[in-house]
Amino acid sequence: METTAAPRGIGAVLRRDPAAPWRHLDWPLVGAVLAIAGLGCLMVYSATRTSMGDAGLDPYLYLKRQAAFLAVGLAVTAVVVAIDYRSYRELAAVFYLACLGLLVLVLTPLGTEVNSAQSWFRLGSFQLQPAELVKLALILLLATTCSAGRGLLSRHRFLVSVSAAAVPAFLILLQPDMGSMLVLVAIFLGVVVVAGARPLHLAVLVVLGVLGVWAMFHFEKVDNYQRDRLTDFARSGEAITTASGFQAAQAETAIGAGGLFGAGLYEGTQTKLGFVPEQQTDFIFTVVGEELGFAGSATLLALYGVILWRVWRTAQLAKDLFGTLVCAGIFAMLLFQIFENLGMSMGIMPITGLPLPLLSYGGSSMLTTCAGLGLVLNIHMRRFS
Amino acid sequence: MTADSPRLRLGIIAVVALSLFAALFARLWFLQVLTAGEHELAAQANQQRVVPLPAPRGRILDRDGEILVANRASNVVTVDRSTLGQMDDGEADDVIERLAGVVDKPPFMLQDRLVDQRLGPFTPVPVAEDVAEEVLIELRERQDEFPGVTAEQSAVRTYPHASLAAHVLGYVGAINTDELAAAGGVEGSGGYRLSSRIGKEGIERTFEEDLRGVEGEVVLEVTALGVPIRELSRREPVQGRDVVLSIDLDAQRVAEEALAEGMVQTQRHRDPETGEPVIFGGSTVVLDVKEGSVTAMASWPTFDPTSFVYQIAPQQFADLTDPARGTPFVNRAVLGQYAPGSTWKLVTALAGLETGLITPETTIFDPGTYTIPDCGRGCGRQNAGRAAYGEVALRKALTVSSDTYFYDLGARAWQQRERLGETPIQDMAGLLGFGERTGVALPTEAAGRLASPALRAEAYEANPDLFATGDWFIGDNVNIAIGQGDIAVTPIQLANAYATFATGGTRYQPNLALRVQDQDGTVIREIQPRVDERVDLPAGARGPILDGLVGATQSEDPRGTAYNAFRDFPHDLYPVAGKTGTAQTGGGRVDDALFAAFAPAGDPRYSISVVMERAGFGSTWAAPVARTILGSLSGLEEPEAVAPVPGSSA
Repeated sequence: METTAAPRGIGAVLRRDPAAPWRHLDWPLVGAVLAIAGLGCLMVYSATRTSMGDAGLDPYLYLKRQAAFLAVGLAVTAVVVAIDYRSYRELAAVFYLACLGLLVLVLTPLGTEVNSAQSWFRLGSFQLQPAELVKLALILLLATTCSAGRGLLSRHRFLVSVSAAAVPAFLILLQPDMGSMLVLVAIFLGVVVVAGARPLHLAVLVVLGVLGVWAMFHFEKVDNYQRDRLTDFARSGEAITTASGFQAAQAETAIGAGGLFGAGLYEGTQTKLGFVPEQQTDFIFTVVGEELGFAGSATLLALYGVILWRVWRTAQLAKDLFGTLVCAGIFAMLLFQIFENLGMSMGIMPITGLPLPLLSYGGSSMLTTCAGLGLVLNIHMRRFS
Repeated sequence: MTADSPRLRLGIIAVVALSLFAALFARLWFLQVLTAGEHELAAQANQQRVVPLPAPRGRILDRDGEILVANRASNVVTVDRSTLGQMDDGEADDVIERLAGVVDKPPFMLQDRLVDQRLGPFTPVPVAEDVAEEVLIELRERQDEFPGVTAEQSAVRTYPHASLAAHVLGYVGAINTDELAAAGGVEGSGGYRLSSRIGKEGIERTFEEDLRGVEGEVVLEVTALGVPIRELSRREPVQGRDVVLSIDLDAQRVAEEALAEGMVQTQRHRDPETGEPVIFGGSTVVLDVKEGSVTAMASWPTFDPTSFVYQIAPQQFADLTDPARGTPFVNRAVLGQYAPGSTWKLVTALAGLETGLITPETTIFDPGTYTIPDCGRGCGRQNAGRAAYGEVALRKALTVSSDTYFYDLGARAWQQRERLGETPIQDMAGLLGFGERTGVALPTEAAGRLASPALRAEAYEANPDLFATGDWFIGDNVNIAIGQGDIAVTPIQLANAYATFATGGTRYQPNLALRVQDQDGTVIREIQPRVDERVDLPAGARGPILDGLVGATQSEDPRGTAYNAFRDFPHDLYPVAGKTGTAQTGGGRVDDALFAAFAPAGDPRYSISVVMERAGFGSTWAAPVARTILGSLSGLEEPEAVAPVPGSSA
């Protein structure tokens, strides 16, 4: 129910209208997000304080920046939540095309290469990763496309969906950023499965996908380091000969060394002595594992479980199919990133450069995750209106 | 399709999510609960580097506390070959090239050291020693350019008296594979590592456990790059204990110098085939008969153990073991085995008295020649120089060294073997310690040989082609009666046998060390005299034999065999009881010269043996060496230059 009265502050609105969307805010989700993001700031600080201090730099630098990212992220969440999600349907195509434009631009000299992937725009001291934004754009576009009809997904809409996912996936592969590309695949699968894709269509797509991967390896379109990452994983148990294999082994050691209750905050030796690389970003979970132990890691896993549960539940409760599909896309995005990131830290998945949502240091990822969860909150609280 | 369908299909992704979370949880459980221990160890090993702190070895002192072996600090650069082996050839060569520049040596010299196969593949190879402090610092600062290179200060052996007592002291070297295995392997019960050093020879080896000390260690916390952050713990090394020898520095020096002076004058030998000079060696041993210990032990030619402080050069080591150079490395005092010649007559005399074949007063007529009774061919024997001594009893027989007297004794012993047994002479020799190791505290010692009918038969049965016969003839007994035939003794056995007679029958296992003590001189372990056997010498034997042996050095008429060597010796104050020996070496070669004695005769303190290979008469060559040493030991004579004296007797 929309209120026609001029807004007089949230308190006034809440008092006046018991059915107002604000009253249906999903507090468990908000709580879990804040808990994880707070822990993330702490872990980022723990991972960087020693090396920054040793280098004579401000040991709080990463903490400050991550806190700033979180603040911006929460502001974005508030903005996303404030506007009724149904109006995003109209903007989906524009947002999507804008993101494609950025993906093309990032490949030009305007983009910056980091870790041999051309994935970033440098904006002052902040780096924007368009691959992060495109995840949201794809979710909105797929949800719009797939919610337009009734019943099972028609071949036409299925093909449109495939194309919508394939174009950005291909552009991201050019960077190359295998991890983000796979996130798009996960989003696509999440949305179309829930939208009712025909098993035959999916089967054909899977066969084509397998052929495509085979062709890429066969014609040696995969960089050596990427192949190392994938094959290291398959060769576990043999002598470590590659840099990525060393990374994975040290990450496992760090997590395992934590034991039941961990070494204690700031006490992880693997962490502070620099044995695990990329620790504030992709391998942030090793800090949790080493310093907070099984107790802390399992709690973190449970908090992610809460988030996924609330997103899934919102998908169930959504007032329309668009809302359901947006939640399904976000669910798939988060699930894949969490599983892939924790999986590679613990040595059961190959190493791909994916951040752990809300925990890893980084603005783009924080922004995308916050905006995505903002959408979910939005859908959840407007389930009656 | 109903409107609920999408909501039902949400079930699919819920199942997927639950499965993936279950996998994550299971993995987390496995890593942090089931296998946490091994990861913890791995993390600890990551973070800690244990750097061993080698313990300085204990010192070796003479009986008065004079330092024979001590330590000094040395900056050594070592290379770990296994690290270089893992690099590409070009890369490894670059490291060597760079290192050569820093230590200021041509690269080939480093390469030469690195190909040395005597060290195990994982033992660090020293390539530069006593480098400047600046080199040490430079190598440490540029460590990343020198993988496998270690530059550190270490304590190495120093020998203030150079080659003095080298054979007794032995040396220290890098542990080899066999020694490591014997000590229980790397990090085994013995506590040795691949880079450990260990006593290789002499006292360094036999007293290794006392000398080596206890290694310390420092545990460092390091980063992933191996940069040390801080010290986690430190255990200081404990220096090894000092070993105080029974060796007397002054006596040792006199003995070595006298022996060397004598030996140098006998070097006139050439290889019969090549005509190249060949060096023959010699040895002298002085025992303290009261203490049952070694006062001096010399073997010539000798070497400077300083060559072994680092890895000895292969050519240098080859020279030390070259027979043409007299194998300087071998300690002849315990490893040389010689026919004793007439020094053996002490044994035969005691056996004769013991069996009753002679009394001190038994006389025989010595015309200068002797024919073996009951004998087929080659039965003629003669005294040295065919000297005829006329009526000879025991005293005179020893003084003038009458072979005929002892030939007769040996022959009669065999003729009466039914009553006396086949080996009365060998039995007496066994009581005096011949034919077995003395048990002196050195790593290797020869046992010598005592021929007997039984051994002869045994050897023949084992190798019938090698020997003409397995039988023992009367001539064999005649031969061993004067210390020829298949009798071989070591210089230390000879000295110990005379010591046993001197003490009236107490035979010691000669000690080389008196005690083990710490650096302050606090005694940790006294090494007591070790009595090996108390021999019952035949009653009434001592006086006449003593007379005969003292006569050998003093008696002008009949002329004692060592009379010339001991001319003008202070006999009144320091009577010497001795016996010369001239042992045939077969094949027309020059004889070995021997002398054995103890002094002072009345209340013996020292016994001595001198053996000089291929020198000639014992009276000419060996007795003067003994005279110089005994004169110095008596405190009555300054050591004088050794010179050969005219002599002719066996």
